[in-house]
Parts: sequence; C-alpha cells; structure tokens
Amino acid sequence: MANEESVDAKAAEELLRRFEPVIRFTKGEWFYPMDCEPYVDACSLWVARPGEDAVCVVPAGELTLERLPQQPEDTTGAVHYLKIPNPKEEENGGRRVRRSHTNPDWPKETFRAGRGRLARVGYISRLADALFSLVLLARGRVPGGDVEGGRVLYGRFMEEGQRFKYHGHVVRQDGWIVLRYWLFYAFNDWRSNVFGANDHEADWEKIFVFLSESESGEVRPEWVAYAAHEETGDDLRRRWDDPELEKVGEHPVAYVCAGSHATRYSRGEYLTELAFPLPRALSAVRRIARRFWYVTLRQYADEDYREKPYEEFTIPFVDYGRGDGWSVGPGQDREWDPPRLMNPLPSWVSGYRGLWGLYTRDPFEGEDAPAGPMYNRDKTISREWFDPVGWAGLDKVLTRAEELEVIIGRQAEIEERRDLLRSELQEKSGRLKALGMDAEATRDRSHLSKLHENRTRHIEELSREVESLREQLSDDEVLAESLKDHAESLRGGERPPARAHIMHPTRPVSEAETRAGRVAQLWASISIAVVLVTLILILAYERSHLLSALVFAVAVFAFIEAGFRRRLTRFIVSVNVALAVVGALVILEQYFWSVIVLGVLAVGLYILWENLRELGS
Amino acid sequence: MYRQARLLGVLLLLQVVAMVGIGAWLFSRFDWNRALSITSGSGKINVQTVEGPWLEPLAQALLFVVYFVGPVILLLLAGLGFLLFRRRGWMLASVAQALIMLACLFFYGASRPWFAYPIIAYSILMILLLNSRSVRAVVHRRRLTPTEARPEIAHGE
Repeated sequence: MANEESVDAKAAEELLRRFEPVIRFTKGEWFYPMDCEPYVDACSLWVARPGEDAVCVVPAGELTLERLPQQPEDTTGAVHYLKIPNPKEEENGGRRVRRSHTNPDWPKETFRAGRGRLARVGYISRLADALFSLVLLARGRVPGGDVEGGRVLYGRFMEEGQRFKYHGHVVRQDGWIVLRYWLFYAFNDWRSNVFGANDHEADWEKIFVFLSESESGEVRPEWVAYAAHEETGDDLRRRWDDPELEKVGEHPVAYVCAGSHATRYSRGEYLTELAFPLPRALSAVRRIARRFWYVTLRQYADEDYREKPYEEFTIPFVDYGRGDGWSVGPGQDREWDPPRLMNPLPSWVSGYRGLWGLYTRDPFEGEDAPAGPMYNRDKTISREWFDPVGWAGLDKVLTRAEELEVIIGRQAEIEERRDLLRSELQEKSGRLKALGMDAEATRDRSHLSKLHENRTRHIEELSREVESLREQLSDDEVLAESLKDHAESLRGGERPPARAHIMHPTRPVSEAETRAGRVAQLWASISIAVVLVTLILILAYERSHLLSALVFAVAVFAFIEAGFRRRLTRFIVSVNVALAVVGALVILEQYFWSVIVLGVLAVGLYILWENLRELGS
Repeated sequence: MYRQARLLGVLLLLQVVAMVGIGAWLFSRFDWNRALSITSGSGKINVQTVEGPWLEPLAQALLFVVYFVGPVILLLLAGLGFLLFRRRGWMLASVAQALIMLACLFFYGASRPWFAYPIIAYSILMILLLNSRSVRAVVHRRRLTPTEARPEIAHGE
C-alpha cells in the first residue's frame, strides 16, 4: 500500500519539480493540463439516482473544491457528477469558439488527421466502425453541445490567465519513491475533434516517475510509467536508461495524443483497438477453429493475428501523438506553473467519489466522465492510487539500492536450504539402501512375501522423495550459481537489458504505412457504402446467378482492398483457405462414406505401423 | 532447411504430370479415326458442320485445356522455382492452386466429372502444405520479421 506519511510537502514539491515531465502535444489540440479548481468552480454538481432523472445538488457558481467532498452519502447506485455549463448560458451565447480569434494564446492550427484510420484496417473493422457510430446514437453519449461548452469554458480559463499546471503527489511504496503527476484536462474530445472512440467531460491522465533512494538519502530516477487508456503492468513502464525514453536533462519527455490525452514515449500515430466482448458461443467457435487451423494443421499465421484474443472483437482508432504542437515543461515554449500539491492529501481527492464530468449512462463507460485520481468510476479505489508500484509492474523489481543486499540475503538463504537438503538426502539415501537390502533378502521366500511387498512399496515412495530432493538440490545449485554471476555483474555496474520486461511494445505505425495515396483514402472512406450497394444490386437484379455474382463481387472487393493495403499474399492465402474449405465440403458430400472408411483405414494403418515399429525396435 | 521447399517442388511437378496425364487421357478418348474419315484425310475437322455425341470427349478435352493450361504453366514454373531456386515460386503455386480450385468448383458446376475430385483433394493438400509454418518459414524468411506496429487494445476509455 502506498504511504505518503513519510514525505513532507516541501520535499515532495522539490522532487516533483526536479523530475517534472516535458509534454509535447499534437497540433490541433484544444485542451491542455490545467488546475482543476477553476473547472470545479465553473461546474454544477448533480446526482443521478437509479430510475430517476438527475437532480442538481449544487448549482454552477456555488461549487468549490472544498465543498465538493461535502456531499452526503446517497442511495445505492446513485452517481454524483459534475457538469460543465451549457455554452448558451455563457457570455458568448453559444457562438462557436474560434481559438485564433478569441484566444490569441491558443494554438492557431487545426487538427489534420492525415491518412484516415479506416485506410489502415479491413472491411470487417470498417463495417464494425459504421455499426459503432450507429450504436452511438442509441447509447448514452456526450452531446455535441457539451464539446462546444468545454471549448468555451477552457477558452474562458485561458483568457483569465489559466496556464499549465499538474497535480503532484509523492508516496513511498516497497522501497520506491513514486512521483505522481496527475494531469487534468477540461475535456476529452477524441471523438469529435480527432475521429476517435469517445468524448467525455474532464480527463485525468497520469505520469509516474519511480525513484530509488540510497542510504545517504540521494535519490535516483529508475523508471517511468505513462498512462495510455487502460494499460497496466510491465508494458507500461520504461527504464530511465531506455533509449526510447526521451529526456531533457532530468525531465522525461511524453507525447500526448490529440483528444484522448493518452501519453506515449515516442512521437507518432498509434493504432488503438477498442475491444468489445464477443458472445461466449461465438468466441468458443472462434477458439476451436483457430486451434484446429494453427495447432492441428500447423498453419502459418502472422504473429499479431496469432496473439489476438478470442473473446474480443476490436474496432480500430488512431491515437495521434505527433508532438508537433505545443511543448510544455522546463525549458520549453510553455513552462509549468507551480504544481497543485496533493501532499498532504486534500479532501477533494479522498472525499469526492463521483465523476468529474457528465454521466451519460453509457454501458461501455467510454462516454462517461472519469472519477478523480483516487477512484474508479464505480467508486472503488483505483490501483494506480493504492498500488502504483504494482500498477506499473514494479512489484517484482528491486531498487538499485536494494539489489545487492537482497541478492546476498537470497544467496545465504539458498546456501542454508542446500545444507538442509544435503543432510536430508544423505539420511534418506541411507534408508533407501537399507530398504533395498531388505527387499533383496526377502525376495522369493513365500513366507516373507508380505514383508517383501511392504518393503518394495516403501522403496518406491522413498525413491520418489529422494528424486524430488535431488531435483531441488540441483535447481538450487544452478540458482546459486546464477545469483553469484548476477551479483558479480551488478557489482561491475552492469544492468540487465532495459527492455527485457516489455512483452507487447506499442509502436507508432511506420511512415510507410501512413503514406497512402489519395485513392486509397478515398476507397477506405467509401468502400463500405459501395460494398453494401453492390450487394443490394446483386440481390435485386442477379438472383439467377446469386452465388456466382456474390462470390465474384466479394473477390473483386477483397482484391482491391488487398492491393491498397499491400496484402496480396494474405489475400491469396485467405482465398485458398476458403476454396479449400468449400472443396473439402464438396468431397465430403460426394464421398461421405468413402471418406469415413478411408479415415478409419488411415488411423488403423497408422496404429499398425506404430506397433510394428515398436516390435521392430 | 530447404528440404521442405524441394519436397514442395516435387509435389508441384507431380501435380503437373497428373494434370497433363488427365488432359492426354481426355484427348485419347476422342475417336480421331472417325474425325479423319469425315475430313477425308485433309486433317481439318469442321466442328460446326459435324454433330453428334461422339464430339463430346473433344469438347471436354478442349474445355480442360482452357481451364487448366494457365494453372499448369504456373505450377510448372513454381515447381522448377522451388527445386532450382529454393525459395521462389510460392506466390505462383498459390495462385495456381486458387485457379485450379475455382475451375473445379465453379466452372464444372453440377456436371462435375470424376477427375475433378482427385484434383480438388490434391489442391487442398497443396494449399495446406503451402501455408504450413515450415514452408512459410523457408519461403518468406526475410519477410517474416515483424515490422508492423502492434495495435494496442483499450477497453472503454
């Protein structure tokens, strides 16, 4: 459990400022990290009880950070949430905000998506995307007016001199000092500004820096972890000396994606797949089919496809972390204001469990605003709050200051265990030999047969025990040897590979992939509509040759797609697989009993062959 | 390492031999003597003026040539490619199998002759073999190193 008691506010602020990140934004970003206080001051507080209309608890203008946690406990299932003011109620009367006109300090560039995300994925995903957009009309979502409201509000903050601020919190856990930089954005406009998956009012993102402390009290940065969507664990963190981690002096550099505010280590465009669960029966069929194809038939598959989960269906979106917009941080175009410290813990963090923006009742939760730094949307305490070390997968990693001490302790422990094992082994080996002698002496004597059986059974049991002890001893010897080598390399200043812990690195798409012709982009945009219209035309006018026409149309569309996406090999394989399946069914239909007989015959011959081989050997 | 490729080459050439064999057998069924007698030894058959079921074998043989001459040439090139150049020919072989399967499944339709079935069966085996991990590992050795970015999976947020 993270413990903040041992970190005083002054030391916390010093550490936070020493390692505060440099954040590079994407051109066209509307919202930047700000202090949460003016946001709360401008919002109203609402409560939505199950089956009832939402009720305003504190109107806009009366809410403060201090008042936020002073809400009484409500009924089960009730959700407290903040709501940004409607732009029509604002001074400009709902006029569209033009950043260059109203706010000279706001970046003038608008966002350009470049090669569309749809050009990077296939028909199925495009169709799913179209369905996703349709479903969005039915499920809860942030209304378009709220996006405008967010922009009006943030524009007003900027005009009032609001600058760039983070919320800092320092804790100690498992020997680590964790610097937590919480970044608050007034709005997440990933969907409406950047063609992403969702919009929501308010956005809390985070960057953690993990320090180790020597006996003399000197701190050293060792790891960083940037939050991106819901990633957790080993893949999330980078070691301080990882070449992927860019730094300006002692300040780690982060690339924030436009709209979503997901944080990345390298600049670029990232394909992010939004996962939805498949029905259980469908995922079971998928699992069996893939297992048969890849394991039983040993067919080839791309690595990324092989590792795709069975239970999920994904829709792709692009996260644009280009880093070509403003840069905020020490020595950059824009500097950080002094942080809002969360040591000691303020009551608005621990006392307010509600959402920081509109509660849309979206079943997928993507359009609901997030809870504060300490909580999940369901009011439970978030892991990154109570266990930041485990959240970043560091719970199995030692600080550099601890490494040698722990390794020496471990060596001593293993040596002690080896001594015990050796003596136990010696004792049991002696007993085993004595039992062997007993069994030898009682063999083939009818009046001692019971005793012989008893001894034989004991021998078997003891043999297993001795074997297990020898295995343990052998493992310990190998482990002791490895620990010795590892200790020597650590003493020599060597470190294990910086990226060995990363199993599934997220990389930006390559430049070659983002460079697509206009025809490809146009095709990606219109393809689903063209496919659907063609299918309808075939159904209407080509019923006499329905199957052939459908097959022909699908093949032509698939071929065009494969050509655009440079995946002709995969296309040929898919066609062949489909034809092989149809061919197998045709053969089965024509020669069902012959196939069965041949199959049984083949199995019989195989068994015969195996038995004969065994006999021969 | 290249044993798989050579085996594949041999199997593809075997397929060529089998297809040519079937073609030759189809032509051999035609009554060439009768045709010669009709043309009075001139060597030319005017199919339009001659009717009758005895011409069906010729039509079937010609159809077989039209459907399979292209794929057989591709198979031959692919087979030689695997035998002589070890890694070349995978795409040719795959396209050839697709064309053969298409011809057998669609163009022969309901009147599927007996030889369509062994051809389909052999093609299925070749498709599985061509897409097997061991063969792909050999023929696409240079291409199989991952270069594309891996998408990240997000749930909800």
